[in-house]
Amino acid sequence: MNCRECAEHLYEYLDRELTPALEQEIRAHLEACPPCGEHHDFEELFLKFLKLRCQTQGAPASLKHRILEQLFDE
Amino acid sequence: MTSPSSSPPAPSADGRRAAFEREALVHLDAVYRVALRLSGNPADAEDLVQETMLKAYRAWNQYQPGTNAKAWLLTILRNSFINEYRRRTRHPETVDVDTIEPFAVFEEIQDEDPQGTFFDQIVDDEVLRAIDELPEAFRETVMLSDVEGLRYEEIAKMLEVPVGTVKSRLFRARRLLQAKLYRYAVDMGYIKGSPR
Repeated sequence: MNCRECAEHLYEYLDRELTPALEQEIRAHLEACPPCGEHHDFEELFLKFLKLRCQTQGAPASLKHRILEQLFDE
Repeated sequence: MTSPSSSPPAPSADGRRAAFEREALVHLDAVYRVALRLSGNPADAEDLVQETMLKAYRAWNQYQPGTNAKAWLLTILRNSFINEYRRRTRHPETVDVDTIEPFAVFEEIQDEDPQGTFFDQIVDDEVLRAIDELPEAFRETVMLSDVEGLRYEEIAKMLEVPVGTVKSRLFRARRLLQAKLYRYAVDMGYIKGSPR
């Protein structure tokens, strides 16, 4: 595993989409290579930030009421 | 007395509604969030969600218990959007999104802010605006993966593209978003940025 291969699979690693064997290889590389470790931490932080900022928005209460009423009419 | 070979009784309307509320309606916020990003305005998003939930309820016997109900609902939502809304809300892509190559923000901020603390200062609305500016194929992939947590395989099935395409769209979409938000942070003075 070199830095280029590690970078190529970084998102799949963070998304937990790798095979256990490849995941283990990446984890070992990240522990041994500080620059790749920093890159990993940055991407991980970005994904958490993205999710957090987008999940504050929910459906309006009036919409939920409308849907429930609609289902009762079915 | 029922014979052992008889099929189980059909669930009552109440039981069906209770199951739907428990397993489908709990995903209402997710369905609304994706609808809003797809349609681009709250009025269309609400209509789209209402239609999606009604279709889902009528098709509830086709849902396989134990599978991802959120993915099932979002598939119905996306199909409704494509069939009935897209033509009048947003225009289909005119650029080949799979050839866009954005730059890598991490390399830009490596020296000044490797921990990416500038993200903390960027508010919700700005992030949503950046997502809205993405090409549709990227926007929906980011919403499904990064916001709603669907697996690559589920997204590929929903969008009817290979898993490799999902991966490459996610890669480019994330890089594009980072680039947009980085530029915004530089403009706002949250980060000095590199001269260019």
